[in-house]
Amino acid sequence: MRVRFWKRAKTDKPSPSTLVPPEGVPLTLPIAGIGVRFASQLTDIVLTVIAAVCLVILLGIMDLTSPQTLMALAALLFFLIRVPYYVMSELAWNGQTIGKRLMKIKVVSHDGGPLTARALVLRNMMKEAEVFLPGTLLLTLDSATPLASLAAFSWVTMALMIPLFNRYRRRLGDMMAGTHVIHLPVPVLLKDLASETVAAGTDRKKFVFLSHQLDHYGAFELQTLESLLRAQNAPSGADAARQRNATLEAIVEKIRKKIGYAAPVPPVDRLPFLQAFYNAQREHLEQRQLFGDKRENKHYAQSGEER
Amino acid sequence: MDTQDLIRSARFRKEREADWQKLETLVRKAEGRGLQHMEFAETRDLASLYRQATTSLAIAREISLDKALLGYLEALTARAYLCVYAPQERLGGLLGRFLREGAPRAIRRSWFYILLGFLCMGLGALTGYLLYFENNDWFYVMMPSELAGGRGPDATTTSLRSILYDTDQASGLGAFATYLFSHNTRIAIFVFGLGVFACAPAILLTFYNGLSLGAFLALHYDRGLGLDLVGWLSIHGVTEISAICIACGGGLQLGTAVLFPGNRSRSVALREAGHDAVKLAIVAAIMLVGAALLEGFARQLVQDRDARLFIGWGIGALWLSWFLLGGRSRR
Repeated sequence: MRVRFWKRAKTDKPSPSTLVPPEGVPLTLPIAGIGVRFASQLTDIVLTVIAAVCLVILLGIMDLTSPQTLMALAALLFFLIRVPYYVMSELAWNGQTIGKRLMKIKVVSHDGGPLTARALVLRNMMKEAEVFLPGTLLLTLDSATPLASLAAFSWVTMALMIPLFNRYRRRLGDMMAGTHVIHLPVPVLLKDLASETVAAGTDRKKFVFLSHQLDHYGAFELQTLESLLRAQNAPSGADAARQRNATLEAIVEKIRKKIGYAAPVPPVDRLPFLQAFYNAQREHLEQRQLFGDKRENKHYAQSGEER
Repeated sequence: MDTQDLIRSARFRKEREADWQKLETLVRKAEGRGLQHMEFAETRDLASLYRQATTSLAIAREISLDKALLGYLEALTARAYLCVYAPQERLGGLLGRFLREGAPRAIRRSWFYILLGFLCMGLGALTGYLLYFENNDWFYVMMPSELAGGRGPDATTTSLRSILYDTDQASGLGAFATYLFSHNTRIAIFVFGLGVFACAPAILLTFYNGLSLGAFLALHYDRGLGLDLVGWLSIHGVTEISAICIACGGGLQLGTAVLFPGNRSRSVALREAGHDAVKLAIVAAIMLVGAALLEGFARQLVQDRDARLFIGWGIGALWLSWFLLGGRSRR
């Protein structure tokens, strides 16, 4: 038996952004990175610190505290404010604190199931154990106890490093609660290009593409063309318009050459030509896909042979 | 416009677009106001439209190459999924359930680890006690100087007594806060957190805490102040030391999961052990807050030795009865 020194990397792992809800249709929810989570955490800390400081000042005015115990009292108030703040805001706003709302990120259940109140409480309690309490300790300890300071420091450092070493950017609390944090997707419904051109009353017979002419491209090229066509509607200056015309001309010529479209396309007809080509190409590709012939991109023929 | 002119995927979209937009408005409503404040018909529609949208998404992935449509459906379904599977339980119910059932049951389940925690502490105290009588200088080794507060083998008996029955010590809110973040809370946090590193640090720290306790006890016993010190310590110490032992039990539970995961992987074992260990940590935290309250208020108000003993052990008995009797199902 051969000794393996490290685990061979698995190549068939699903993408970390994929989440399968109970309905069984995988959804793409991109994982929130370290930076955005740090920013939202910072916002929350600032908010809770402000609240704690206000209360301490209030207590000071009412003469309920002495200077010796001020720091301890402030730490206590900070603790008493932030623990319910995180738990209750995440419960009330479905996995979002104010900082997370600003950054448009959100806690989801790691296995795609429902997000439970228990998980939210657990992950926020663990936040105390991971960062805040050792952090408070670190600030209150002095040079007289180097061992304890070192222990607290290394513990906080380790807790902050953990998200860097897993694909879902989960901290310890996330792992124990079975959650991770995602970017909230924004649904924007754009117009359907295919029905738009029909609605505009473009003569369908003006450009006719034969089926062998549509065999050159795959889905990737089609969707690139789609992005290009959508960008045409954006208003722009004269300079940009000239540049856009040049791009259109280049693309039209390239496509004509590739598919062997003999008739020349006058400058006025360039956009309608591309729209008509998009429609025809999409119809063709979708039809092929229905028959089980999925064409990722223009190299579909070669990749098919390799398998 | 004649829909027959459209290609298949465009027709697919046209037929369902209205439903998607309705779902979108419902999702916005749910996100803005919360599911609890929506009408019955709306929530019902939300659930069924969400399921329709997942079906649409699955179909669209097969038949459509419209990138915009796919992106929209994906985002819409994801938003709707997040709304439909939002947490339904209220915080009050969760807290009540934890106090009534979760915590006592977790304590009873992990009695063995907590016993180990008490054993560490007890052995430490015994060792400290015996070592003190062997040689008084051990006291300086085992007792952190900031905790001793001038008390040691060199101090006179009257000064020791005056600290035990000191009326002008800090009292009230500030003292409560100070005590909460004092020595024992730090020990409890470390004991729990360091348990993950294969138990040893948790056992050592608890043992060390026991050592200083034992030496302290021996010092006062030596001067004939044994019972007075027990009274002084009991009023908050029964709660506080139990909290440290329970935290130690939680830490040990995590440590054993790391050391002996059995047939599971270490991370799975850690997660399963974490369920109870976290409950133990929360119980320990509650007890520490209670101890700080007692230390900050009660110790200064109650100066009688017997009353201190009675309050301290009485509250200890209350904790014990919570752990033993709470969350038992009636048959």
